Amino acid sequence: MEDFELLRNVTIGQYIPTGSIIHRLDPRAKILAASFLILAISFTPSILANFLMMAVILVIAWLARIEFRYLLRGFLLGLPILIFIFVTQFLFMGRVEPAGHVFFQLGWFRITQRSLYIIILSGLRLISFVFLTSLITMTATTTELTHGVEHLLRPFRRVGVPSHELALIIMVALRFVPTLAEEMEDIMKAQASRGADIGGRRMWRPDRAAKAYLPLIVPLFLNAFRRAEELIYAMEARGYVGGGGRTHFIQLKSRGLDYVVVLAAFLVMLLMWFIPWPSIFGIFF
Amino acid sequence: MSEPILRLENVHFQYQREGEETVQALKGVELTVEPGEYVVILGHNGSGKSTLAKHLNALLVPTEGDVWVNGWNTRDRDRLQSIRSTVGMVFQSPDNQIVATVVEEDVAFGPENLGLPHEEIVRRVDWALDVVGMSEFRHRPPHRLSGGQKQRVAIAGMLAMRPQVLVLDESTAMLDPIGRQEVLELAHRLNREEGVTIVAITHFMEEAVDADRIVIMADGRIQLEGSPREVFIRTEALQALHMEPPLVTRLALTLRQINPQFPGDLLTLDELTAALKAHWRGNAPVLLDARKVDSSPQGAIIRYEDVGRYYMRGTPLEVKAIEHVNMHVSRGEILGVIGHTGSGKSTIIQHANALIRPHEGRVLVFDKDTRDEKTDARALRRRVGLVFQQPERQLFERFVGDDVAFGPRNLGLSREEVRERVRRAMAVVGLGFDEFKDRMTFSLSGGEMRRVALAGILALEPEVLVLDEPTAGLDPEGRAQLIERLLSWREQGETLVMVSHNMDNLAELADRLYVIARGTVLAEGAPEEIFAQVARLQEEGLNAPVVTQVMQSLASEGLLPPEATHIHRFDEAVHLLGGMI
Repeated sequence: MEDFELLRNVTIGQYIPTGSIIHRLDPRAKILAASFLILAISFTPSILANFLMMAVILVIAWLARIEFRYLLRGFLLGLPILIFIFVTQFLFMGRVEPAGHVFFQLGWFRITQRSLYIIILSGLRLISFVFLTSLITMTATTTELTHGVEHLLRPFRRVGVPSHELALIIMVALRFVPTLAEEMEDIMKAQASRGADIGGRRMWRPDRAAKAYLPLIVPLFLNAFRRAEELIYAMEARGYVGGGGRTHFIQLKSRGLDYVVVLAAFLVMLLMWFIPWPSIFGIFF
Repeated sequence: MSEPILRLENVHFQYQREGEETVQALKGVELTVEPGEYVVILGHNGSGKSTLAKHLNALLVPTEGDVWVNGWNTRDRDRLQSIRSTVGMVFQSPDNQIVATVVEEDVAFGPENLGLPHEEIVRRVDWALDVVGMSEFRHRPPHRLSGGQKQRVAIAGMLAMRPQVLVLDESTAMLDPIGRQEVLELAHRLNREEGVTIVAITHFMEEAVDADRIVIMADGRIQLEGSPREVFIRTEALQALHMEPPLVTRLALTLRQINPQFPGDLLTLDELTAALKAHWRGNAPVLLDARKVDSSPQGAIIRYEDVGRYYMRGTPLEVKAIEHVNMHVSRGEILGVIGHTGSGKSTIIQHANALIRPHEGRVLVFDKDTRDEKTDARALRRRVGLVFQQPERQLFERFVGDDVAFGPRNLGLSREEVRERVRRAMAVVGLGFDEFKDRMTFSLSGGEMRRVALAGILALEPEVLVLDEPTAGLDPEGRAQLIERLLSWREQGETLVMVSHNMDNLAELADRLYVIARGTVLAEGAPEEIFAQVARLQEEGLNAPVVTQVMQSLASEGLLPPEATHIHRFDEAVHLLGGMI
């Protein structure tokens, strides 16, 4: 066991403040544009389109002045999942009908035109997803995203979407992540000082593990509930009575550029959807 | 006189605790507060003072009687927003009242709730941040602020609602002296310059000295009321309520017992010095405390050798937490470690039981290097008992006995031995084994819970006890009991390390002191040597104990020889000054 330092100061999603043109976009524009690009990736059947999307993402990263190695870091985090998906698809996708041309067969395992296509397509899609989502967190603070989501959902209030409440929940959760991490660190240290064997032997029996963690979990929850109760009083004391009738300190202002970006993303989406299946990959298809 | 801004008429409040009988928190409180007043409400935990505070802005509504805010009854739900924006409230924990992830957005939360137009919100946020002096931090995330700064943000959040009254509900209890100073100065400035009525609820008598009026609560009722001068001299009444006037007043009152001519109603250092000067008669010899513990690094049981440690090492956020720390703890001494929050003192003492290990230099605990792979950290933790700040927050068992037994059980002792140790540890902290072992842990008072937590460490029977801010957050009664306990250990020759920013406590207890600032040891020595460097301490935002300050001003007046500044304990001061007047 080495030291009890928790991720107290690491914010969720690594924001990289370069002050680029992408950073300065209205968060609503960022969210909308990113959504269109994600839809583009999700529904295009074309492998060429996926390669083009990758290029689009690299251009965005260049505009945002985010170094490629940061993008790769996010990719490395997602790598285990990618490998898992690749392996399962490689093993089982051969069974999918219609199979097309069969390249290789050994018992029930086979590699077909169709399976290769699916494996390559889903691999490219996932990589694009990872790049795109990390680009969002690198160019927008969690606070901006919260406000963006709230503003976008606001028109749907009338049909019962609690846009403000959702945003507030996210905000308060983010606000208390470092506080609770600090709290957990203190509790771990304190119980270790009382002779608890924290992080020592690995415990494979869940009942024993649960028992060993009780001295950490019980105080953490009790303290979290106490915090919640105090927070309720503090919010009420500041006149909080729910979302109705509230005005807003943060006013998002969209400029012409924001509309252009959203429109461009929309067009990219349409373009990707209708790109024909490329003949250069004709060997597969 | 104008209409009172707050008027409480025969306020009763009772509530039902889950599975328990009804609790009568308030039993007929009558109180009026005039606009522009500065009122301090004092009382122990459970006296009803926080319940009373929550009545002032309709967070609670009386079960009997009425509360009127600016002429509105708090029962009138239609007036809720008006009442809440008239009476602002700042709570105890700096962390639990900040909603937003950015300072300025948090300040805007109240005005947003009031439905003010955007431009007005912006204006108020700018103004409020400016008043509390936090404008330059407006884009910061709150968790990167100090406790005092967080409380100032919370106050700004209230000010942005333009309240006429600001209720501070123990808002200074969890702050270090610098933070407390920040908040108090702000409250007084708001009262003076902005005409904000202040109702401050606190445990600290010292904070009441500058108030217009003091209200002392106990058992759900107002027991004493009046100006600080009137209230503090009523020694017997205060004693009956288990309260003590501030140290200066206490010194004056004790001297008055020796010389009935001496005035007792003194509140400030200057008043005390002036009165002493007026009554000065003779020249008694200056006697110093004989207790001297031989302490040298050789043979010390804990030794820090040029210790350094980074925080978040190996990340872009890496910072040096402590560096070049050289310290030692000898058997049988009471060591005081002084420093502010963020000075690195907590990091330093967590090295003492191998919770964290040095990145540079080494720490030897009972001659074992904590970085050595072969060193059994758990065995060291048994010999060096470390009690964290607010240790009651780490209790987790339903029953007191089980919680205290957690440590000994981890040692794998027999049932009888565990029981015996629990019994002994509880006796040491003054909790009867038979009376308390089957009590529900979480139904105890704050002071009792702290003692349970302390017993939990004592049950490990450590050879050194390290206490981090042992009295922080306790009410005066709990504080006094704990200090008494520590003083008796001092007599028994226990080895204690006490980390604190309370100079007056350390003055009574410590044999030797370390001053920690900016991650390293700034000074080391006997208390009289450390306290003599008042100017240097003040640079670090620390103050000499009140007793030393009195001695110093008398010495600078030429009334006492310079060596009198070595006196820092209350009893010694009384002994000396009693002979002089």
